[in-house]
Amino acid sequence: MAAPIQSAIRNRILGALPAVEFALVVANLTSVDLELGQTLHRAGEEIAYVYFPEIGFISVMAVLSEGAPLEIGLIGGEGVAGVSVILGAKTSYNEAMCQTGGAAHRMTVPAFLNAAERAPRLRDLLLKYVHVFEIQVAQTAACNAHHEVSQRLARWLLAAHDRSGVPELSLTQDLIAVMLGVRRSTVSVAAGALQRAGLIQYQHGRITIEDRPGLEAAACECYRAVVGEYRKLLGIDPAVVAAGNQAPAIGL
Amino acid sequence: MTSPDADTLPVNRLLALLAARDYEALRPHLHRQPLEYRESLYAAGERIEFVFFIETGVGSLVNTMKNGQAAEVGTIGNEGVVGLPLVFGDDRAPTSVYIQVPGEGLKIKASLFKRALARSPTMQVVMLRYAHALFNQVAQSAACNHFHSLEQRCCRWLLMTRDRMDSDKFLLTQEFLAMMLGVQRPGVSIAAGGLQRAGLITYKRGAVAILDIDGLMKRSCECYAVSKKEFDRLLGD
Repeated sequence: MAAPIQSAIRNRILGALPAVEFALVVANLTSVDLELGQTLHRAGEEIAYVYFPEIGFISVMAVLSEGAPLEIGLIGGEGVAGVSVILGAKTSYNEAMCQTGGAAHRMTVPAFLNAAERAPRLRDLLLKYVHVFEIQVAQTAACNAHHEVSQRLARWLLAAHDRSGVPELSLTQDLIAVMLGVRRSTVSVAAGALQRAGLIQYQHGRITIEDRPGLEAAACECYRAVVGEYRKLLGIDPAVVAAGNQAPAIGL
Repeated sequence: MTSPDADTLPVNRLLALLAARDYEALRPHLHRQPLEYRESLYAAGERIEFVFFIETGVGSLVNTMKNGQAAEVGTIGNEGVVGLPLVFGDDRAPTSVYIQVPGEGLKIKASLFKRALARSPTMQVVMLRYAHALFNQVAQSAACNHFHSLEQRCCRWLLMTRDRMDSDKFLLTQEFLAMMLGVQRPGVSIAAGGLQRAGLITYKRGAVAILDIDGLMKRSCECYAVSKKEFDRLLGD
């Protein structure tokens, strides 16, 4: 398989690397498909690969010993799954699962760590990304404590849409219910209200956003807060790729 | 303000993990100071001027919403450092940090901390390991805030504080505990009253005394044991 060309890469971290660092990384990248429901990292198990998503998004879920897992963060084309290895992690604390079909570039952990050591810009971006991902998780912790399901649903749809890189999301209500840690019927009611307000279209498990400003207004402040941190720290606007615009270079 | 002696072992567990040379680079710039109850070590959005290595007492990472609703998303004690965003290249604090249980800590100028960090890959490794443990705690809190009962979370919080204080007694107002747990004060009153009647704690005039640790562990959610194990594993206790 031919090595990917940097200009054709959608992942924002890989896309932001200087040519000399990309050259260092690309030899170790393998393109893989992401299947709906595929688990990339299982809680408590060794992290074998690091994934740079191109299309589709990955849910990071906290797993408790009883009951359902709860989503704590999303990773799409703006990020990296398995990045905690750069902090010295060997095993995954959380579960990383593909919520849509998609594609990614992956690297073995030793190759990834080796590249991060030799490529200062990559290392800098990865550390900033870990930090901003943690901000996303902390915001979610506070959001889960205080915000209404309808606000959280709106936030989640915006964030998922931003990261997926595609205009239409295929998601069952069961899946969204697990992500938000609520019952399916609760999701049904909340999604119905967003649809009647003309903000989304939800049919046969396919969701499109009809009125983005309206959906942003319906979301809790957590959506904007997290987007602001991505912009500030990484110079990435998670929404740009989804909107179909050319992704600007990350400027730091 | 005094710097720690060269010949005494650091109280802070992160400092104790540092290579002798790394610790020695920081030591002359560390100044011991009291950490006052409710003191803000830094506020969300502000530039981080100082880094704190807590020796006793507990700091809380608090996310505050625009309407003032707050929730604690993580705690930092003698196992950690307040100022982690600097390790990731962020000079501004994304969340506020308050002292929830008073004590003492070692303070160092952010610029000096960053300089030492930039010069020492071994110090970076220790800081990143801690960041990972704290990150896991925040992840656990996200799920915990959502799924677990107020009483369970209250038990978890009291146990975590006890570990950090290394004492069964500490000061804590109900108002502050309410903020930590992201609930209204009456909710905390009810939860604490229940624990008191069960003989697990006493809680009078803002002073908590833990009477029955095993009892508290039984009523706590699993998050206490999970987070503790994770910190101990990562910090190699």
